[in-house]
Amino acid sequence: MMDATASSPAARPRAAGWFARLEGALPWLALAVIGVGLPLLDDSYIGVIAQRACIYWILCAGLNLVVGFAGQIAIGWVALLTLGAYTTAVLTAGKATAEWHPYLALMASAVAGAVFGVVVGLPALRLRTFYFAMTTLGFATIVTQVALAWNSVTGGGVGTPGPVFPWPFDPGWGFYYFCLGLAALATWMTANIASSRFGRALVAIRDAEVAAEASGIAKPALLITVFLFSGALAGVAGGLFSSLQSYITPDAFTFDLSVLFFIAILIGGRGSIMGPLLGTIILTALPEFAAPLVAWSTFLYAALLLVIVLAIPGGIADLLDYKNRRPLQQHREIVPRPELLAHVLDRAGGPGGVIELKDIALHFGGVRAIDGIDLEIRAGEVHGLIGPNGSGKTTTLNVISGYYAPGTGHARLNGADLPFNAPSARAGYRIARTFQTPRIVGGASVLENVMIGGTIDGRGSFTESMLALPRHRRDEARLREAGMLALATVGLDQLGAVRADRLQHSELRFMEIARALMLRPAFLLLDEPAAGLSAEEIKRLGALIVAISRAGTGVLLVEHHADLIFEICDRVTVLNLGKVLAAGTPDEIRSHREVVNAYLGG
Amino acid sequence: MSIRRRQVLSGATAAGALSVASGLAKPAIAQTEPIKIGYLPALTGPSSSTGIGINRGTQLAVEGINADGGINGRKIELIVRDTQSDPTKAVNAVAELTQRQKVSVIWGPLNSGEALAATPLIARDKVPMLHPCWVDQLIDVKKYPMSFRIAPTNTQVGVGANHYVVDVLKLKKVAVISDTTGYGTASVETYVPMLKAKGADVVYSGHVDAANPDLKPELLRMQNAGAQAIMPWSVNAGFLSRILNTRGAMGWDVPVVGQTTLGSGQTKALLEKPENWNKVYSNNFRNCCYVNGKLPERAQEFVDRLRKAKIEMGDTLLWWIALGWDGARLLADTFKAVGPKAEDVVAYWNNLKGWPGVYGTVTWTPEQHNGFPDQEVVMCEVNSLRDGAFNLAPGYGS
Amino acid sequence: MLASIVSHGLALGAVYALIGITYNVMFSASRVFSFTAGMLGMLGGVLGALFISKLGLPAIAGFVLVLVCGAVLGIVTEIVTVRPVLKSIEQHLYVLSTLAFALMVQQVTAIEWGTEAQPFPRLIPIGPGWLDQQFWLPMLACAVTIVGLEFLYRRSLVGRAFLAIAEDSYAARALGLPEQRLRLASYALAGMIGTLAGFSGAEMQLAYFGNQAVLNFYGFVPVALGGMGSNRGAVIGGLALGLFQQAANFLVGGIFAAVAVFVVFILVLLLRPEGLAGAASARRV
Repeated sequence: MMDATASSPAARPRAAGWFARLEGALPWLALAVIGVGLPLLDDSYIGVIAQRACIYWILCAGLNLVVGFAGQIAIGWVALLTLGAYTTAVLTAGKATAEWHPYLALMASAVAGAVFGVVVGLPALRLRTFYFAMTTLGFATIVTQVALAWNSVTGGGVGTPGPVFPWPFDPGWGFYYFCLGLAALATWMTANIASSRFGRALVAIRDAEVAAEASGIAKPALLITVFLFSGALAGVAGGLFSSLQSYITPDAFTFDLSVLFFIAILIGGRGSIMGPLLGTIILTALPEFAAPLVAWSTFLYAALLLVIVLAIPGGIADLLDYKNRRPLQQHREIVPRPELLAHVLDRAGGPGGVIELKDIALHFGGVRAIDGIDLEIRAGEVHGLIGPNGSGKTTTLNVISGYYAPGTGHARLNGADLPFNAPSARAGYRIARTFQTPRIVGGASVLENVMIGGTIDGRGSFTESMLALPRHRRDEARLREAGMLALATVGLDQLGAVRADRLQHSELRFMEIARALMLRPAFLLLDEPAAGLSAEEIKRLGALIVAISRAGTGVLLVEHHADLIFEICDRVTVLNLGKVLAAGTPDEIRSHREVVNAYLGG
Repeated sequence: MSIRRRQVLSGATAAGALSVASGLAKPAIAQTEPIKIGYLPALTGPSSSTGIGINRGTQLAVEGINADGGINGRKIELIVRDTQSDPTKAVNAVAELTQRQKVSVIWGPLNSGEALAATPLIARDKVPMLHPCWVDQLIDVKKYPMSFRIAPTNTQVGVGANHYVVDVLKLKKVAVISDTTGYGTASVETYVPMLKAKGADVVYSGHVDAANPDLKPELLRMQNAGAQAIMPWSVNAGFLSRILNTRGAMGWDVPVVGQTTLGSGQTKALLEKPENWNKVYSNNFRNCCYVNGKLPERAQEFVDRLRKAKIEMGDTLLWWIALGWDGARLLADTFKAVGPKAEDVVAYWNNLKGWPGVYGTVTWTPEQHNGFPDQEVVMCEVNSLRDGAFNLAPGYGS
Repeated sequence: MLASIVSHGLALGAVYALIGITYNVMFSASRVFSFTAGMLGMLGGVLGALFISKLGLPAIAGFVLVLVCGAVLGIVTEIVTVRPVLKSIEQHLYVLSTLAFALMVQQVTAIEWGTEAQPFPRLIPIGPGWLDQQFWLPMLACAVTIVGLEFLYRRSLVGRAFLAIAEDSYAARALGLPEQRLRLASYALAGMIGTLAGFSGAEMQLAYFGNQAVLNFYGFVPVALGGMGSNRGAVIGGLALGLFQQAANFLVGGIFAAVAVFVVFILVLLLRPEGLAGAASARRV
C-alpha cells in the first residue's frame, strides 16, 4: 500500500513492514517484561499496588469498550465492581450459602457482572447521553444501599471477608501473577474486539450514528453484547478486589473510585487500548508517590480530566500517535478508477430491480414536508432529484433509506414493501447511501472508515473476534481487501492509513462513496455529493456515478448542481414544496416551462 | 482543617528529622536507630473527626517521649499514612508500612471499614497491632494472635448504655435507631437482643439514612409506640442533632441515651435550641468524667499538660485525645520494657495487668485481647461539657 | 404525620424544582446539560453559612453576596466548560467538562469547608412553629423564581431573546442577536437560581458538601420527568418527587426510599424518554 505522506512516495520493502509491527508491539513487550519481572524487586508493597492496578485494569479494559469505543458515559460503573466483589465474597464466606470454591465464585461474579452490565446499560438504548449518565449514577447508589441493607447476606455495614485463593495463587506474588494473567487476557480480548468489525462498529455508533445505521449496524444488539462482556470483566475485577482487600465493606466502593476509572479511560484516549492501560496504571500508582497531595487526589484527577477534555481530547493515545502527525502531501488529486467497479460490485445477485415510491406524504408538525410523491429508481439508471431548498429532496431520500416513516403511501423494492423506521435494515436490502454532511469517524483511519461499510458482510461472531479465531481473521482480511479496492475505485487508496479528520472535504465525500460501495449496493442514494467539490472533481464524480450505474446499480442523485444532473442522469424528477413538479428525461425537464420558472431561471 | 494537617505533617517531619539527625550524629549501631511505629489515622475524608482528635494525643505523646530522650536512647519514628476514611488506602498503606518501612508495630486504624480490611493483612504479615476500633469481630486470639485492642468493644459500650437505661433510669420501653453505616447497623443488631435479654421492651428499631433531613416520621412512630427512651447509635453529628432537634420541636421529654458523639462540639453546634441538649446521656469513660466537679487525678494532670502545650480541646472530646495519648505511651512503655521485637511485644502484652492509662486501665491475657475494663464504660451528661469532658450521668453509685 | 410529609415534601420538592429549573435554563441557552446544577445548590448553602455565620454579615447582605457568587460561577462554567466544547464536534464532551469542574469545586469545598455538615443560620429571627421558615422559604423562592422567569421570558425583550436562541440559534444569530452574550447571561441567571435553591433549602439540608451529589440527582429527576426545557414540568416534577420521597421515607423508611425513587425514575424514563411534557427530538439526518 502506498502512503501519501510527504516523506516516502515509493513502496516500502517487506522488512519495513516487519519493523513497523515490532515498533507497534514494543510498548506491549515492555509492559509484559515489567509485569512478569516485578517480583524481582522483592517489594511486596509494590506488589500490592501492582495487583490493584491489574484489577482496576481488568474493569477498565471492559469499561473502555463502553466509554472509549461506544461513547456511553457510564459514570456509575463502580456498581459492577461492588456487585462482583460481594458475589465472590458472599459465596466463599459460607454464611448465606454453602461455601463455594474461589474459582467458581469468581466465575459466578463474571456471570452476575454480565447480567447486571446489561441492566445498567440498557437505558443507553433509549436515553440521551446525560440522562444515561445519571441513571448509572443512580444504579451505583442503589447497589451500595442494597449492600448496606441486606444484612443477612452481605453483612450490612460491617461487611464480609474476602476469599483467599489457593496455591499457586495465594496472597502475595502468586496472587499477583493470577491478576496479571487475567489482566493480560482482558487486554488481549479487548484489543481483538477493538481491531475487529465490532470495534469499528462501536466507534461508528459513537461518532457517526446515522452512518452506522445506514451500514446496517444494529445498535441495540451490539451495545448489549458489549455491556455483557464489559460487565463480566467488571464482575471478575470485583471478585479479585475482594480478595485483595481481604475484607469488604460498602464504604470501599466510593464515587471517587468510579471517577478514577472513568478518568483513566479518558486520559488514555478513546478508541485506544494502550492509552487507557497506561492511564489506569498511572492513576493507581500516583497517590502512592505523592503523599502530601493525597487529600487532593480527586481534585487533581478532576482537573486533569478538564484539561484533557479542553486541550487534548484524544488523551495519551493522541500524544503517542506521531504517525498521524507526519505532514500529508499538499496538492492531492482524487483520481477515481471506475474500471475497478466490476470487482467491487461483484454482482452475485441477479439483474437489479426497482424501488417504487407511491403517493408518499410526510408531515413535520404542521409542515407538509412531502405531499404525495411518486418516484421510481431503476437498476442501471441514474435518477436525478432536484428542486429548491425545502422542497423535500433530502426528506424523500430519508424516507427511502428508512429514517422517516411517511404518513401515507408506500415504498416497494421489487414489489415487496420496504419497512419504515428501520434504517439499519436497508443494508440488508443492498441499499446504500451517502449524507449531505459527511458522517465519518474522525479518529479512525480512512480505511477503517470504509471497512465500516462492510460490517454486515462479516461472518464471525463477537466471541470469535474476541478470541481471534480463524473466521475472524478471514473476515478481517476480506474486509481489508475489499476496503482497499473500494478506496482505489474512488481514487483515495494512497490515504488509507491516514486519520479521516485530516482529509479535505472533497476527499471525505469520495470516502463516503467508497464506504457505500462496500455493500455492493443494488441501489445507491447520493445526497448532494458534489457540494463543495471543484469543477474537475465534479467531472470525475460524474464519471464515477455513471460507471456505477452502468455496472447495474440504481442510483438516486439528489443535487443542486444542475449541470451535473443534466449531464449524467437518465431520468430527472423535480420537486417543489413537497410535490412533484415535473418528471422525465433531462431534455424534457430542461425545457419544461414551470421548472424553468420555479427553479432553473432564464 | 488545614491547621491540623500541617500539625500532622510537621509532627511527622519533626520526628523524621529528629531520627535522621540522631542517626547521623551517632555511629551506625543498631541500638541507636529509631523505633518505627506505623500509624494509620483517618485525618481527612468523611469519617475523620475522631481521627483528628486522637491524632493530637498521639503526636503530643511521641513528641514528649522523644524530647525526654526516647526509648533507651532510641527515638520513636511515627510513620503516618492518612487512610482518608478509605479501606483501599488502608490496604495499600498496610503493605507499605509492613513490607517497605518494616515497622515494629502498627497503631490504628480507627474506622471500622479500614480496620476490618487491615487486620487480616497485618496479621498475615506477622506484625503486632494495637488499635482503638470498637467493632467486635476485630479481636480473635486464634485468627489474629498479634492484635490487641485498647478501647472497649461495641458490646461493652452497649452494655454500658443498656445498663443505664434499664437498671439506673429504670425504663422499660425503648426505641433504638441508627444510621445506615456499618457502625450504626452493627450496633443496633447487637444491642437490641441485649436489651430484650435484660427484660426491656424494644418498641421501635430502625436504620435511617444520615442525610435524611426529616426524622419526624421516625420519632412520631417511636412516640406512638410508647417509647420512654431513645437510643441513637451513629457517629454522624448531623443525624444526632436532628434527632435532638425533632425531639425538642415535638416537646417530647424523653431521655436520649446513646453514642458518644451526642456530646461532641459538632452536635452542639447543630442544635436549634440549647435546651435540646438536656436529658441527653452519652457513652463516656470513667477516667475522663467529672465527679463532683473534679476530674480523676490522672486526667486532670493530662488536661493541665494539654493546656500547657496549647492543644485545642473545645472542638473535640477529651477522651479522643486521651486515647491517642494512651496508645502512643503504651507502645513506648512496651518498648522500654522488652524492646521492639514482635514476639517480645506480644508476650509482654499478653500479660499486661492494669496499665494505668488516662483513658482506660488496660489488662490483657492470652485468651482476652480486649483490654478495656467493663466497669469503666459509663454514661455522662452531655450538657455539662467543659473542656471536652463531662459530668458523670446522675444515678450511678459512685 | 401527614402534615410532616406535606411540609417537608413540598419544601424539599421546591428545592429540587429550582435545581431542575437551573438545569433547564442552562440547557435552553446551550443545548447542554451541566453537572454544575447540584454544585450551585450546594454552594448556596455553604457560602451562605460562610458569609452569615462565619464572617458575620447580616442576612440580606449575605444573601445578595451568595447570589453574586452564583452568577460568577455560572459565567465561569460557561466560559471554561461549555463554550470551548460547543465549538467541537464531539457533542458529549460537555458532560465531562462540566462533571470535572463540578468535582473540582466539590473537592475544594470538602477540604476547605470540611466534610461535616455545618449548621445554617436562622435567617428570620422567628422561632420554629408548625409552618417553620425552613419549609416556606424554599417554596417562596420557587414561586418568586417561576413568576420572575415568566415575566422575563414573556414580557421583557431580553427574555424573548433568551427564548429565541433556545428555539433556533442560527436564526437568532441571523437576526443579529448576540448569541454568546445571551448565553453568558443565561448561565449567570442559572447560577443565581441554583444558589438561591441551595440557600433557601439550607436550613433543612445544612451546609454540607455532600449535598452536591444529592441535588445533582434529585434535581435532575424533575427535568427528566417534566421534559427538558420545560420549567412548569420541572416544578410539578419537583414537588411530586419531594412528596413521593417523604411518603416513601415514612412508609418504607430509610434505605428503600432511595431505591423506590430511583426505580420509579428509571421506569418513567424508559417508558417516556422525552419526559411527560417533553420536546420532540431534533432532526438527526
